[in-house]
Amino acid sequence: MIQTWKALRTSWHDFMSTHRSLKWTLSTLIWLPTAITFTQYFYTVKSIKGRSMQPTLNPDYSPWRDIVVFDRFAIHTRRQCDRGDVVALHSPTDSKLIVKRIVALEGDTVKTLPPYPDAEVRIPPGYIWVEGDEPFHSEDSNKFGPVPLALIDSKLSFIIWPLARYGPLRKPMAPDPRASRDPAWRLEKAVMERERRRMARVTIAEHS
Amino acid sequence: MLPTMSVSGELVIENKMISPEHLSRGDLVTFTSPLDPSRIVCKRLIGLPGDVICVDPTGQLAPSTEHVLVPRNHIWVSGDNAAFSRDSRMYGPVSMALIRGRLVAKIWPPTEATVFRNNFNYID
Repeated sequence: MIQTWKALRTSWHDFMSTHRSLKWTLSTLIWLPTAITFTQYFYTVKSIKGRSMQPTLNPDYSPWRDIVVFDRFAIHTRRQCDRGDVVALHSPTDSKLIVKRIVALEGDTVKTLPPYPDAEVRIPPGYIWVEGDEPFHSEDSNKFGPVPLALIDSKLSFIIWPLARYGPLRKPMAPDPRASRDPAWRLEKAVMERERRRMARVTIAEHS
Repeated sequence: MLPTMSVSGELVIENKMISPEHLSRGDLVTFTSPLDPSRIVCKRLIGLPGDVICVDPTGQLAPSTEHVLVPRNHIWVSGDNAAFSRDSRMYGPVSMALIRGRLVAKIWPPTEATVFRNNFNYID
């Protein structure tokens, strides 16, 4: 029994070492399901197109498109999303994937921006309000209204390219007022102001 | 969905290889519920993009004179058992991005096995 097993193994080994391309095909076929499951349910890498999330993603000074990792597990399995998270969602108007920031969750009241017909809107249960960081180049909830939670595909986890901004998104913080006011300082101040203005338009529901 | 599907449940065949643009009025579609992302619901497709729909002809959930235009890339859905259905009358038009598939046939219980044909009648 052991003898035949050994003989089988050696002949299999010889066969595979003489047919290298077959070996590669087999190992690809074996690993493919693992890779598909991983990208479908855990993490996936995407490149960002467009200016709607400037200056967080694709800022003007960057010559490349940002390449980022999206976390599907947090949305599909753990179902956690919060105000301020950057998410990829299917656009309700053309089903394409878009990247936006969650501004308000269900129950919150938002003061809307111009294209929206009402001045103020209360987010119905099961819905969220999403906006791009750059309101002039963004097609967001101010255009199509609150979106159902089920449209969210994944949550941005961290940037991998360009290397200068590698890592998770930082929470905007007030820059040190005594530091020298170079362009980087002013950029940080502007981001922080933008965040403050955006959150000033949201009244958070009491129960959450 | 009572006359079409029973309360006790049954096995159905779902076609997931559809493109939402090629659905027609009267199809049974499955989609992720806009109210709760963990639920998949099945409703009958009533209106396609561009249709003008009377929200509720009985006037119970909305005044019977209220009409809406179904927006681009959205559909209007309704349950067959209207009295016990949470459908577009409640949450409005549903985005096509939420659609999962279309029901093709009922296979269990075998005595009631049917193919779901399009039963939508147009009145001249």
